Amino acid sequence: METNFDQDVIAAIFKFVWSKKAIDREKIEDGEASKGEERAGTSKKNRPTSANPNAVRLSCELLRLFVTEAVQRAATIAEAEGGTKIEATHLERILPQLLWRSSLRCSWML
Amino acid sequence: MDPVTMEDCFDVSDTEKEDDEEEATAHLRDRFRISTISIAESEAKRNNLEISQSVIVCISDLAFKYAEQLADDLELFAHHANRKIVNMNDVILSAHRNKHLADTLRAFSHDLKAKEPHSEKKRKKSSSSNKEDKGFSSVHHIDP
Repeated sequence: METNFDQDVIAAIFKFVWSKKAIDREKIEDGEASKGEERAGTSKKNRPTSANPNAVRLSCELLRLFVTEAVQRAATIAEAEGGTKIEATHLERILPQLLWRSSLRCSWML
Repeated sequence: MDPVTMEDCFDVSDTEKEDDEEEATAHLRDRFRISTISIAESEAKRNNLEISQSVIVCISDLAFKYAEQLADDLELFAHHANRKIVNMNDVILSAHRNKHLADTLRAFSHDLKAKEPHSEKKRKKSSSSNKEDKGFSSVHHIDP
């Protein structure tokens, strides 16, 4: 099998982001509750998001594709320039296009 | 002890928490980078090229940022569907702007499903459990 990201690491990153956001949600809710609003089952509502194992595996693949695509594109530039090593200047040239095309957050303008 | 500023007095627990958070992130970032190095180096080797460490570090940091944004997106998608658990469709959805990427992920998700004997049986028996997938493929076909 091809080398890929460690599922444990990706799951840990997700868990880290999600538990941080769950704490933020709780804080907001606490603020609202103190204003006298009724809140039922808040603990359940604020439980952090989790992911099923296949979703984590698929995320590993998505991130692996991101890395391989970045390397491939930089490699194309390096080869075109007749080099034998991928250098920072090659990466610089492919970076804008890569980020615009593969990142959801940046590609909303397209 | 260090000189304590006004801010520290008010938010001691918060700053401590931030330090812990930074440490945890740094640790995750390091483990993430180890994987990136092996992926990037094997990919460069396929092109008979070397790859400089600074390039790998940069790609790794970008991919890490991407993973954090992905976590944000996946949570939003799952919550929008009234779920607390992220599934494979959420991951595919996150790549919807890049058609080629979404197709690749969809194929990969089918492979993963096929590896699970229980879910496969269920899916073959009842077409209703396939609704989610059908929703996706029909959207896909409508697309010009």
